[in-house]
Amino acid sequence: MRLTDWALWLFTIAFFVFMILPIAVVVVISFTSAGYAAFPIPGWSFKWFARIFEYQPFIDSLWVSLELAVVATVASCLLGIPAALYLSRSQSGWATAITTFLLSPLSMPMIVIGFASLFFLSWMGFGISFLALAIVHTVICLPYVIRTVTAVYRAVPPAYEEAAMILGASRFTTFREVTLPLIRPGIAAGCLFSFLTSFDNLPVSYFFGSAQTNTLPVVMLAYMEHQFDPSIAALSTLQLALAVVALVVADRLYGIEKMTVAT
Amino acid sequence: MSDTAQISARARRALLLAPALIFLAVFFVMPLADNSARSFIGEEGGFTLARYASFLTDRFYLGVIAETVILSAAVTLISVVIAYPVAYVLVRKAGRLSGLIIFLLIAPLLTSIIMRTFGWQVLFARRGLVNQWLVTDLGLLDAPLRWLNTPGLAIAALVHVLVPFAVLSIASVLQGVDRRLEEGALMLGASRFRTFFEVTLPLTMDGIGTGAILVFMIANGSFVTLVLLGGGFQTLPLLIYQQFNTTRDFALASTMSTILLVIALACLWLQLRLVRRQGV
Repeated sequence: MRLTDWALWLFTIAFFVFMILPIAVVVVISFTSAGYAAFPIPGWSFKWFARIFEYQPFIDSLWVSLELAVVATVASCLLGIPAALYLSRSQSGWATAITTFLLSPLSMPMIVIGFASLFFLSWMGFGISFLALAIVHTVICLPYVIRTVTAVYRAVPPAYEEAAMILGASRFTTFREVTLPLIRPGIAAGCLFSFLTSFDNLPVSYFFGSAQTNTLPVVMLAYMEHQFDPSIAALSTLQLALAVVALVVADRLYGIEKMTVAT
Repeated sequence: MSDTAQISARARRALLLAPALIFLAVFFVMPLADNSARSFIGEEGGFTLARYASFLTDRFYLGVIAETVILSAAVTLISVVIAYPVAYVLVRKAGRLSGLIIFLLIAPLLTSIIMRTFGWQVLFARRGLVNQWLVTDLGLLDAPLRWLNTPGLAIAALVHVLVPFAVLSIASVLQGVDRRLEEGALMLGASRFRTFFEVTLPLTMDGIGTGAILVFMIANGSFVTLVLLGGGFQTLPLLIYQQFNTTRDFALASTMSTILLVIALACLWLQLRLVRRQGV
């Protein structure tokens, strides 16, 4: 190998140490037997995972976050899939403009979306409620579904659907038997991104704090401001495990390459 | 197709698009417009530019805008400089290892900001791993350094969050570079360095641009890392957060979020121009 190659590989390895170290440290600390968060750990135990289940706000907010992520993802699919179906088959300039518009929530600062929505939704009478939070989460999740479904459906030649129709299938049958199976990887990827985005969101959820609407990240942030113990590490590890499992399942079902077309 | 059939086909397609469009018009555009509108309405009602006039002539607030942009630009520059060699290795050198590299790039994206921040706090605590290495193991320092609440650590944490986006943007463009152009330069006697700087780098400028805008855009709106890791920065998102939490001057917060929104829209516009040039 040349010297430059050595340098490049050394740099890449240093880069991944930088990327992985802060995360690996948290995973290790979540198994500590000590009463404080420090690395290296004196011994192993599961007590901080048990602690999660003893602290009621964690459990309550975990449910809120899960319900919220499911509602936002389902709503994003209901709104996003039809729009994506239409936009991927249209070549016109204004279809591009509309796609840009539908994806634009990804480009706006979250803190502004959160702050602005709080006032607007209160004015509309939603107040600080689960419904209000679900609406704002749908705004930030919808682009992911539209982006992934559009990318997958664009790669599907119209010939399949045309063939089904020529052979006498109704529009609905064609959709159910031909289109839907073909775009399923896109829907799966969109749901995955949408779920993880909602579940992890802090900047928007932060503005909608109340007993019924405190999500897990909001409660974790509040907890961290007062205490610095390994239960936050244990929760983070659980969250990461959940995300990795979801990713692996999606990969087994649809293949990660097909799903990353969109990203 | 008869006229009526054509109209009904158009109507059906409009029905596919309508729910998403109406939803975002009502719950995305209107809140942002309403928020910006409130920054133009005076205490006694009526249109006013007074807030912007005082905001944009105030030394402190001008400093805040400058700091927001400079911090984002610094994070962007560092991210792109770090990302390029990694993207190069991923596309050109990794071979069978490329799957592993992609996994290692994606895995951190699945972790929460809170988790990463927690990791930084542990690693760089006064008696943390880094100080232990530097003082006890390597003997480079006599006394532990104070890392937490320094600007450097906050910038490192922001780069940590954003650099994967830059790597992926650059890698996707690098993948598309026609290698015959590089071989041509080499055959005509250019050195490897000259080939890289005069052929490869210019051909990947679009990837650098896309990645840079993406990183800048996200850095510009981020505040959780800065809230938790400190660093003494005064940026627009941090000030909006503080106004909401403590000072509760909502009109000022609206003014600041409008300015932040204008910066974001400018980035979006730049991004669209770049994407259109690439013909994607």
